[in-house]
Amino acid sequence: MQFQFVSNDACVQMTGDLTFTDHAVFKAMTDRLFGGGNVSVTMDLAKLEFIDSAGLGMLLLAKDTAEKAGRKLVLRSPGGQVKRMFGLTKFDTLFAVEE
Amino acid sequence: MLRGGPVAEAEHGPDIAAVPRASEAASEQTELLQRWMALAGMQQRVIDALVAEISSTSAFVETEAEALSGRFQRLAHSAEQQTARVGSMSALAKEIEVNGEPVPIERIAGLLEGTLSDVVTKILMLSKDSMSMVYALDGLNANVIQVDKCMAQLGRINKTTNMLALNARIEAERAGTAGMAFRVVAGEVQELSKATEALAREMQAEIKSVTAGIADGQTTLKRVATVDMSENIMAKDRLEVLLLALVNRSDNLSAIVGDAVREAAQISSDVDGMVTGIQFQDRTRQRLEHVVDTLHVIGQALEDIRGRTKAVVPELSGEPGSDAEWVKGLLEKFTMSELRARFVAQLLDGKQLGEISDAPAHDVPSVSGSIELF
Repeated sequence: MQFQFVSNDACVQMTGDLTFTDHAVFKAMTDRLFGGGNVSVTMDLAKLEFIDSAGLGMLLLAKDTAEKAGRKLVLRSPGGQVKRMFGLTKFDTLFAVEE
Repeated sequence: MLRGGPVAEAEHGPDIAAVPRASEAASEQTELLQRWMALAGMQQRVIDALVAEISSTSAFVETEAEALSGRFQRLAHSAEQQTARVGSMSALAKEIEVNGEPVPIERIAGLLEGTLSDVVTKILMLSKDSMSMVYALDGLNANVIQVDKCMAQLGRINKTTNMLALNARIEAERAGTAGMAFRVVAGEVQELSKATEALAREMQAEIKSVTAGIADGQTTLKRVATVDMSENIMAKDRLEVLLLALVNRSDNLSAIVGDAVREAAQISSDVDGMVTGIQFQDRTRQRLEHVVDTLHVIGQALEDIRGRTKAVVPELSGEPGSDAEWVKGLLEKFTMSELRARFVAQLLDGKQLGEISDAPAHDVPSVSGSIELF
């Protein structure tokens, strides 16, 4: 997985696959995302092509971390396999998901 | 109409020439009476033949109607059973039996959906907890590395301390007696340094063991966390499609069976109506009995008048035979050869019904129908 911060670190654009092997990179990314002064932060998933169960677990941990830090985490524009996984796991009931 | 008579005689008086005419008239009257008597006799035979035919036809209708009614009743019974069977199929289409309890298909789909959602939720929780442990072990590993660095630093300090103690000891030896006390302190410092070094080695060994344990834990956790459960989550998608197809098929089957039940019930109702409708033979028999009774009365009246006429006019005993041509004219109107044969035997040949070898119509197999086509 690759990522790029935009909008003064209020949004991070993720690209490629999010799997177990990305856990260290993902942790560093979320530390930076939640460490800024933005109350609402967004993960742009439009270019994220694949997510496995470990990736879903990492997103759930990120949500817990965001809540503890008093941040609101928004997942934006999931598509393809990622969107189907979100639908099957009813992620829209756990996260704020924007189309 | 008889010609001449008392009125003509009263008006014209006795007439010698009229005697032969009176005789001729009497003869003509006798002949006409004879013809009336013959006609009456033939009518009586016709009535007997008609009575026999009506009775035979009535019995035939009765027998055929009863047979038909029996068949329709069997058909009605079969239709009722068919309706019941189709009805039970309707239940089969809507539900299945689990441990002796009927469970609707929709409920099964709901139960499976609930179970699958539960499995997916647990997979998510497992993934989240696994990743949480991975993060925790990552942090612990970083702490251990830091402690390892500290231990290395401690080793370096201890080595320096040991060198200082050694130098102090050398300087104390040079000072001789004056350095005696200083030599004792330098020895104690050297001993302390050795003890610290031993403790540092022991701690290093323990830290190495902890590091190896963390590494093993990380390897095991990695093996667990890298088991991708996304296919299992996707299985829910496929199962939902299958369940939807199953429910749709169940609905379609129910609709078809429902139509079949309604049609079977309609057939059953129609057949019941036909069984009722086929009871017409009772009224037909009663009507024909009235006709037969009436014909009997007419025949009896003809017989009475013939007897009385013969008693009054004995000359009529030699009445002429039946009018074969008139009878043939009558019989030519009959289109059924079987019926015509019976009438010929009774009217022209003078046979009784019991003497006629030709079987009545009801002996004809009913399945082929007793109607003769022309």
